[in-house]
Amino acid sequence: MKLSVIMPVYNREVLVGAALRSLLRQRDAAELDIIVVDDGSTDGSADVVRSMIDENPCIRLFQQENTGVTRARNRGLSLLKPETELVSFLDSDDISPAGRFAADVALFRNDPDLELTYSKMMLVDAIDEQSLEPAAGANSVIARGIHLSAAIFSRRLVERIGGFDEDFAQAEDTDYLLRGFEIGPRYVLPDTLALYYRRHSGNMTRQQDVQAREFMRVIHKSIKRRRANPSLKPIEGIFELEKLSDWRLM
Amino acid sequence: MHHSNVYAVASKDIVFESFDGEAVVLDLSNGKYFGFSDSGSAVWQALSSGVSMQALTGMVDAAALEAFVARLVEFGLLAPSDAPPQPLPDNLPAALAAAKEPLNVSIHDDLADLIIVDPIHEVEEPLGWPAVKQAS
Repeated sequence: MKLSVIMPVYNREVLVGAALRSLLRQRDAAELDIIVVDDGSTDGSADVVRSMIDENPCIRLFQQENTGVTRARNRGLSLLKPETELVSFLDSDDISPAGRFAADVALFRNDPDLELTYSKMMLVDAIDEQSLEPAAGANSVIARGIHLSAAIFSRRLVERIGGFDEDFAQAEDTDYLLRGFEIGPRYVLPDTLALYYRRHSGNMTRQQDVQAREFMRVIHKSIKRRRANPSLKPIEGIFELEKLSDWRLM
Repeated sequence: MHHSNVYAVASKDIVFESFDGEAVVLDLSNGKYFGFSDSGSAVWQALSSGVSMQALTGMVDAAALEAFVARLVEFGLLAPSDAPPQPLPDNLPAALAAAKEPLNVSIHDDLADLIIVDPIHEVEEPLGWPAVKQAS
């Protein structure tokens, strides 16, 4: 099956190579198409990506003026090829665990009506840059959190959800996921570990003021949508976040 | 019994925002979402910023206001305050005059899991999503 993975990148020259390698090591799991949208990086991010394309033509690089992550994700969606059957996302500072796609793509092969797999993620504070696995002694916690990389979407579901809401400067991913679940897709919640989510000083989600307001707006919009349209589904029994409450104690 | 008619947001767990004039209040301790009607949004904005109930006299039905405030107190969103009353916001009379819905607040708790483990908890601590505040 043709799987497109959309990766926006902005000034992540140190990390984007590892993120891409973590995808390339899974080439046997699907017909991989990696769409990198360089959102106006001013560092060497695009050069790092370009240096990998010769040996890995499944990587496609698109460069644009800096417009923010929401529009960069939408650019990625606009670049899907007609033959793309499955869509996922990986941020340029995260790592896709070995075997992640093999496990969940198989579920789509076995169920032609499946529209969404939504798996687990690991928050981890140190990644071994050679093995692209959690470093020895790293702190980590696993949960079914809120992250685009936990998901593989069928192409049909991507079309049903529509684009990312460009009103959001942040939390556009949470909004997208809630909209995805609200429309009632056929989904499964595998125990696959779908993401190593790095904790490091540059995580964009640390821009707290904007994030808090944007998050409240996501919640507000979801409740308004469902109040206005009772056919939308409640968001229940999907996210398992309670384990994340231990993270701060580490 | 408190008679000041001035209220304040009841705790640090109560956070609120306004989106297109619509007030949204979250209780981070239990993940409850409180949605407001248009007139309710305007009154919440006034009371949560320390405007006295008396200042709203004539703009909203007195009995309805009493009942509305009683609910906000019962829900743990507002608490009586000894602070001196704040001036009425300039835009409030017009907002209340334009309001089409009665004073109302509704509770939704189906996104409580998200709200409890949300990034809002983090504003004072440089740790990043999605750690949550530990119970004290």
